[in-house]
Amino acid sequence: MNLIELLDQAAASWPHKPAFVETDTTVSYAQLVERIAVAGSKLKALGVTPGMRVGLCYPNSISYVVLTFALWRLQAVVVPIPTECSEEEVATIIEAMHLEAVLNRLPAGARCPQPSSRVEPMKHPLTRPSATLSPTGGEGRVRGQRATERIIGSEPVSPEVFLTWLAQNTKPDNHGLNIAFIRFTSGTTSSQKGVVLCHETVRDRVLAANKLLQIGPDDTVAWCLPMAHHFLVTIVLYLSRGATVALMRNTLAQTFLETVNRSKATVLYASPFHYALLARDRTGVQMPSVRLAVSTTCALPADVAEDFFARFRIPLAQALGVIELGLVSLNRKPTPENWGSVGQPGEDFRVKIVAPDDQGCGEVAVAGPGLFDAYAAPWRSRDEVLRDGWFFTGDIGRMDADGFLYLVSRKTAVINLAGRKVFPEEIEAVLNRHPAVRESRVYGRPHAHLGEVVEAEVVMKTPEADLESVRAFCRDHLAAFKVPTQLRVVNALPRTAVTGKIRRAAAVAHNG
Amino acid sequence: MVEPQKIETELLAFLQREIFAPETALTPETDLIAAGFDSMSLVRVLLFVETQYGFWMPEGEINGATLKNVRGLAATVARLQHAT
Repeated sequence: MNLIELLDQAAASWPHKPAFVETDTTVSYAQLVERIAVAGSKLKALGVTPGMRVGLCYPNSISYVVLTFALWRLQAVVVPIPTECSEEEVATIIEAMHLEAVLNRLPAGARCPQPSSRVEPMKHPLTRPSATLSPTGGEGRVRGQRATERIIGSEPVSPEVFLTWLAQNTKPDNHGLNIAFIRFTSGTTSSQKGVVLCHETVRDRVLAANKLLQIGPDDTVAWCLPMAHHFLVTIVLYLSRGATVALMRNTLAQTFLETVNRSKATVLYASPFHYALLARDRTGVQMPSVRLAVSTTCALPADVAEDFFARFRIPLAQALGVIELGLVSLNRKPTPENWGSVGQPGEDFRVKIVAPDDQGCGEVAVAGPGLFDAYAAPWRSRDEVLRDGWFFTGDIGRMDADGFLYLVSRKTAVINLAGRKVFPEEIEAVLNRHPAVRESRVYGRPHAHLGEVVEAEVVMKTPEADLESVRAFCRDHLAAFKVPTQLRVVNALPRTAVTGKIRRAAAVAHNG
Repeated sequence: MVEPQKIETELLAFLQREIFAPETALTPETDLIAAGFDSMSLVRVLLFVETQYGFWMPEGEINGATLKNVRGLAATVARLQHAT
């Protein structure tokens, strides 16, 4: 089975229906399939073969979708590389996932264009030769080779897409699986992993998710999230159902409202941060076409839900999405009493609260269709990870008498900054490599508008520490959103009495 | 109270250092949205304003006019710090 079949079937049923609309562009299903065929032929001619793992480092666009499906048509494995990654993070993904090639927007070694109407001047790995693709050594070598040392050459796929070949010491082992997608999640060497998903798995979770979302050919989804982080039970699902995806130029409230009303969008899929911007918009413009507004990626603050409802009379529906599981639950009947709930789990899923305390709170475990197939590095099959068929999410939650699930906290210390996951250990590893830092502790400080923000305490080797150089060091080695907002010098870090490990603060509630 | 001119200088330095690639020659008049300013960039600017000037910019103040360029953003920050 190949996911391209889902799109081919939709294109056969609704060839003239728009798959994507942008401000001045409409691409029908027939045109989308045609563009995928052209890109696929080109990639095949360039040497992409079945089972090959190809990184996709590309901004949100119709081209992003075309490239993903083109790689799937060739049975290649798609590994998204978020464009905000630092050079070092790109190198880590390339090495840990055994990537043999990367598709990106500029050829290796090319310089970024100056700002223009085209979006490109953001810090963009593989397109920033000064920082990324220059052959000089120096800092940035954490493990293995730098990405730059692996580059064999770049070839154009189209005027705006380049295929960069990378040398690999070892061939990737796909363990005989029909892999479509690997999502790399960062962390330390011990906690980083690639979540492996086969074509059949993605199909199963798309089917399960749509029992909750009920997306059909009459729907138009207003899209504002990064495709590098959200693609399967979203874009793939919409395209398999003949829906239209409306892309927006930016996520400011007025642009969002214009996009929704121009495309007569029926479904919104966004994070609480986007909904907060909309809730406080003062233009008075309404969104009468919307039937469902899904809030995902992090906990929805009650005031955002209230203000959004007061402004638009649309209740926000929280969802629980987990990369290992797909879309597990959705609050399909949001009321002021249960806005805090991620809803009732989908009919195909079983959810249990493990070892609940006297408040009924315990770890949320899930079983159901479309569970991930393996972790890639090191390889661990699903059966090795599951416990008696259950996936333990790490979320602490409770279930009310009506079966509505509430998430209250996390077991692990992962920080959720407006929907982006940040692993404290990964940032501490960078801080600790700075020559003036003895040790460090990174934690999430609860923030009324963003869920949590990243902060750090550092113990310096010398009292006359230069914190600005530590900050600059973080900026050089980490994606920008991971750089601590506050760095504080302390004399010592809190440690647990028993093990002497650095003590971590309890994490606040979030989901996604 | 921070002078508008100082806010503009500080915001420009922050954006140049932490948001835009070194190749981008950012000026107070550069159209931020056209230059690729996305929602994670916005989150980080709001955090910078909160840390540096001590208040969270109300979401109702965040619009195309405010984010047109650094000059507009600095003027909004200057006005709001009086109000808070």
